[in-house]
Amino acid sequence: MRIEKNSLIQDLIQRTDVNITAAKNFKLLNLDKLNFKKEPKQWSILECLEHLNLYGDYYLVEIEKTMLANQKSSNPSLFKSGWLGNYFANMMLPQSNGEVKKMKSPNDKNPVHSQLGITTIERFLKQQELLKKLLHQALQKDLTKLKTPISISKWVKLRLGDTFRFVVYHNQRHIKQAERIQSCFSNA
Amino acid sequence: MKSPQHFTEKLISHFKDSATVKTINKGNLLLKEGDIETHLYYVTSGALRVFLLGEFEEMTIRFGYEGSFINSLSSFINHTPSEFYIEAIRKTTVQIIPKNKLHDIIYKDAESMQAYIALIEGLITQQIEREIDLLTMSPSERLKRVLARSPNLFQQIPLKYIASYLRMSPETLSRIRNS
Repeated sequence: MRIEKNSLIQDLIQRTDVNITAAKNFKLLNLDKLNFKKEPKQWSILECLEHLNLYGDYYLVEIEKTMLANQKSSNPSLFKSGWLGNYFANMMLPQSNGEVKKMKSPNDKNPVHSQLGITTIERFLKQQELLKKLLHQALQKDLTKLKTPISISKWVKLRLGDTFRFVVYHNQRHIKQAERIQSCFSNA
Repeated sequence: MKSPQHFTEKLISHFKDSATVKTINKGNLLLKEGDIETHLYYVTSGALRVFLLGEFEEMTIRFGYEGSFINSLSSFINHTPSEFYIEAIRKTTVQIIPKNKLHDIIYKDAESMQAYIALIEGLITQQIEREIDLLTMSPSERLKRVLARSPNLFQQIPLKYIASYLRMSPETLSRIRNS
C-alpha cells in the first residue's frame, strides 16, 4: 500500500477524534454500567478501554522514542506500507462484509477482573491527546524508514506509519466493541 | 507564640462543632482532576492518597492518615481546577470544613493567625524535604528518608502506593525492604 503521508495522518487524526468523542460519551454512564458484562468472560466497557491503555503504555512510548532518536529524519511525502505491518493493521479493521474477526488477547494485555474506575477513561483520553500530538509531529518524519519494535517481539519491527495505523485501528476496534455494550443500555 | 500543634488542636475542636462528616468507600474519589477544591478535610479514620494521573500511570504525591489534614492544596489556595485526584485507600471517614469557615477561624485573632503561619511554615519545610526525596538518586536512601518521617508508613498504606510515592517499582521496593 502507498499513500500520501499527509492524508494518512489526517485520516488517523480523524479516527482518533471519533474515538475521543465515544470515550467522552462513556463518561456519562455510571460505574455499574461501565463495569457491566454480558457474559463473565466478555469485557466490560472499562476493560475494553484498559486493554487499549495497556497497548498505549507500550506503543506511545516506543513511537516517541523512535521519533526523538531521529530528529533529522528525511521528510518524504509518500508512505509505503510493509507487508507485515499492513497485515497487522488491516487485521484490526472490520472485514469487507462488516464482520469483526474475533481474536484472543495476550495475557499481559488482558485487563479482565482488574479493578477499574473512572480514571481508566480519563487515562485513555490523555493517551489520545498524546497520540494526536505524536501524529502531528510525524508530519515531519519518514514514516517508511523509521521503525518501532512490536509488543510481542523486539526483533520484529514495523514501519512507523504501520505502527500508527495499527494503534489507531486497534483503538477503533475496541471502542466499537465498547459501544456495542453501551447500546444494550439504550435498548433496555 | 502558639505552636502549630495548638492551632491544629483548635482546628480539630472547631471541626468537632461544625464540620460535616463523610464516609468514602475504598477506591472512591473525594475530588477529581478539574474540580475546584473548596474544602479542607480532617481524616478521622482510614487513609487517603492524592495522585496525579499521567498518560501511563498514576503518580501518588501525598498520603492522608488518620489524624491528619488533607486536600488538593494549590486548587484550594488559588481557586483553580485541581490537577490531583483524592482517593480513599480503604473505607475512610473525614470531617469536612469549607474554606470560608476556615478563614473565619484563622482571622479571628492574632493568636490564631500566628499559629496558622507556623502551620504553613511547617508545610513549606515538608515540601522541601519532599523535593530532596525526589532528587535523591538511590532508591534505598529515598526509602530511608521517608521512613524517618513516617515510621508507620507500611502499616497504613499498601506497598504499591508507597512505591509510586517513592518513584520506584513495587518489585524494587520489596527487594529493598527484604535486604
